[in-house]
Amino acid sequence: MKSSLYPNPQSADPAVGGAKRPPQFHLGQWLGILPFFVFSGLFLIGPTLMLAYRSLEGLEGGLTLDNYRLLTSEAVMSAYGMSIRISLTTAILGGIFGFLIAWAISMGGLPRPLRSLTSTFSGVASNFAGVPLAAAYIFTLGRVGVVTALFKAFGVDLYKTGFSLYSFLGLTLVYLYFQIPLMVLVILPALDGLKREWREAAENLGSTPFQFWRYVALPVLMPSILGTMILLFGNSFGAHATAYALTGGLFNLATLLIGQQISGDVLHNPGLGYAVAMGMVIIMAFSIFIYSILQRRSERWLK
Amino acid sequence: MTISTSPVPLAAKATEDRAPVRQNRLWSWLIYIVGAVYFLVPLAATFYWSLRAEKGVFGLEAYRRLFVDANFLPAFSESIVNAVAAIFLSLLIIVPTAYWVTLRLPRLRAVVEFITLLPFVIPAVVLVFGLIRLYSRPPLLLTATYDSSRILLVCVYAALSFPYMFRSVDNGLRAMDVQALTEAAQSLGANWGTILFKVIFPNLRVALLSGALLTFAIVIGELTIALFMAQHTLGPYMANLTRSKVYEPSAMAIVAFAITWAAMGLIAYTSRERRQQ
Amino acid sequence: MSAAYLTLESVRKEFGAVLAVDTFNLDVAAGEFVSFLGPSGCGKTTTLRMVAGFEQPSSGTIRLGGKDITFAKPNERNIGMVFQSYALFPNMTVGQNVGFGLKVHGRPKHEIDTRVKEMLELIQLPNLEKRYPYQLSGGQQQRVALARALAIRPQVLLLDEPLSALDAKIRISLRAEIRAIQRELGITAIYVTHDQEEALSISDRIVVMNMGEIEQVGTPFEIYNFPKTQFVANFVGSVNNADAEVVDPTNGILSMDGVHLKTADVDMSNRMKGDKVKISIRPERFSFAAEPMKDNVVDCIIENITFLGSVVRIQISIGNTKFNMDTFNNPFLDLPAIGAMEKVMCSKEAVLVL
Repeated sequence: MKSSLYPNPQSADPAVGGAKRPPQFHLGQWLGILPFFVFSGLFLIGPTLMLAYRSLEGLEGGLTLDNYRLLTSEAVMSAYGMSIRISLTTAILGGIFGFLIAWAISMGGLPRPLRSLTSTFSGVASNFAGVPLAAAYIFTLGRVGVVTALFKAFGVDLYKTGFSLYSFLGLTLVYLYFQIPLMVLVILPALDGLKREWREAAENLGSTPFQFWRYVALPVLMPSILGTMILLFGNSFGAHATAYALTGGLFNLATLLIGQQISGDVLHNPGLGYAVAMGMVIIMAFSIFIYSILQRRSERWLK
Repeated sequence: MTISTSPVPLAAKATEDRAPVRQNRLWSWLIYIVGAVYFLVPLAATFYWSLRAEKGVFGLEAYRRLFVDANFLPAFSESIVNAVAAIFLSLLIIVPTAYWVTLRLPRLRAVVEFITLLPFVIPAVVLVFGLIRLYSRPPLLLTATYDSSRILLVCVYAALSFPYMFRSVDNGLRAMDVQALTEAAQSLGANWGTILFKVIFPNLRVALLSGALLTFAIVIGELTIALFMAQHTLGPYMANLTRSKVYEPSAMAIVAFAITWAAMGLIAYTSRERRQQ
Repeated sequence: MSAAYLTLESVRKEFGAVLAVDTFNLDVAAGEFVSFLGPSGCGKTTTLRMVAGFEQPSSGTIRLGGKDITFAKPNERNIGMVFQSYALFPNMTVGQNVGFGLKVHGRPKHEIDTRVKEMLELIQLPNLEKRYPYQLSGGQQQRVALARALAIRPQVLLLDEPLSALDAKIRISLRAEIRAIQRELGITAIYVTHDQEEALSISDRIVVMNMGEIEQVGTPFEIYNFPKTQFVANFVGSVNNADAEVVDPTNGILSMDGVHLKTADVDMSNRMKGDKVKISIRPERFSFAAEPMKDNVVDCIIENITFLGSVVRIQISIGNTKFNMDTFNNPFLDLPAIGAMEKVMCSKEAVLVL
């Protein structure tokens, strides 16, 4: 639709100052944004609301919180517990190692090309999760994996020592493969935000590198580091594909439990199944919430 | 008021070149090498395995078997078609949305950004759970046939790509000063359609490409949703392969890795090109 | 005056194939305020950073109070530095920032507290101790940075374009404050800037630099009135440049576009008749011919008159060359008409041959 933006010089309106704003098409604007909301509603919000609603349905019908109380039952608790253990472990380990690697490639004096190489690889590795990653680890540390065989060649039978890829330790090892890169990718911008002048000012005032990290750098980075670790926690907590591919869906994990529930009512209580699912959503929402608070705090210091 | 200026005594000083820089580098290399070993060993092991399909020979037999498998190419192409469709759908929805939110409805930005966070809050397995329950009964029966389920799948993939697509496009819009360009176009008489397709889209090429590539990488190997919706895409195919064959899965893992590397590399390459302009 | 407190001897810095600083020699007396003045990329910041210890000279020595500090670590030099971007630690309050140097030296808490209060009094911000940097204005942040650098009682204070990021009005008031504090404490200071007015107004001596080399070292008065090179004359203040030819070296007579000008330049005795030279004359040295007459009285045509507030700039042409002539404004100024022919004069000392 054509619009004339040049005000008629003869009729210069003193009340209108500055450039004229383009005409507002109220209907058109909302149309532009409607598909987004419709889509999100249909395919993201809708299903979740459905689960929420169903989770409040009692066995006889009617609304109740019984299902949520049943979350403390044995089967559910052990699945949740394992998920939380793995997520905490991979969040902390992934956070520490990811931070160290990010430090090494940004401030550690390594050759410059290594940084973009590692960045790109981190993007690849964090997307490698799922079946390919599980397969790769089976070939590496599975019962007949290459590394297992290597250990055997040196006289060490890994699986006799109680190690198994299909255990808490094994899963942690596998999960770290996409947790560490995620940490690297998210924390790199924060490390870049550490101004060079801070280190110089600190040195100039007489501090050692250790004192600089202890009093300035780590405190400034802490919101970012903590926030990203929480992101890592959520990432691990909600992961399904890798665990499924590795264990065939038979391991005791919250996501796998839900998967089983989808295929058949293993909990013998559909409402409980929905509650388990909603429980996950609540935990994830909580962690994302804390993450965004910490993000905002770190942005204030690192921009 | 007198202020003392007598200096704090100087500590003993070193006369050689600064050691801490050298020490730093040592630790960096150590960390990097340990990291490299952790990340490369599984890849190396898989690659090694993929070459040992033929007894006693290093060859590409596993790859050959993979490509001639009756189920591979159909699954692969189905995934690709899904990915492309999801990308287009996502672009069509996100670009106008980002544009309008930036230009006209900044108050809605918080809501939009919140919604784009939802895929991180709702794990895939939970989402598919809800999807199946929601759409397997009339009046919203969408899971009755394979094709209708497939359409549902593509729509879900598009929705899951919203965070990445929105962030890419948003960054792109910020970089191109979308307000000024829009006003310039309007003063020259363009309508909204023209502005969107002739002005906005072309300048967003790099941002769109990186959003598209990220979506591609996510969709191509997606397992959870496709599995529970009984779709014959690459994800379930690969999972099956892991359980049924010995050598082919390793070839498949390497191929998956190569594809993901290509996608990420392309993103890095094009965004670097842009920065050099 | 005692022996130099800070000495830079033949200091040279190369970055790969690029020579950033070439043979820099300078003696700074205790309590002196020296400015490094020059355009971007002239090497002034690099030299400062070598004094601070953030860069190592490729060759040469730096001595402070007799001790050789050329390769000493930055945290061992007891030199305070103020950065252009303030560099206040964002996670610490003003008080914690100011006390940081003392804290890392292990001083006891009560000593730190007293010193912090002292410093905040000095910069006249005693009530901001508990604030965070992001809550302060640019000018306040820079003063806190200054207090932080001074808290450790440094032997030398280095300032790297500390006012460049601030508004013009704050720049002017803050530079005077910095100078006042420096005088009160009697601390030796090196100040890097590209703003010549800043350097002129607060320095004891100025080092004018260009492309890694020292062009001239002198007091502001010397630099402005007796520039030794074209670059200095052009960079500090404004100046008219013209080409001329030597007519009589012994008596210092030049010919510019056929017009004869007398110069008092000592170097003239080394010249030969017919030499081509460049001459420079500051705009304010011209005046309309009146008693008492100066050495050079020439005809000119009034080209343009621009009113600049306190100064009136008259563009005149002498021969084929245009000159700017500045004169103080006053309401009773009797200005000639544009296009008129007038007689202007200037002394022979005003004609610089560079």
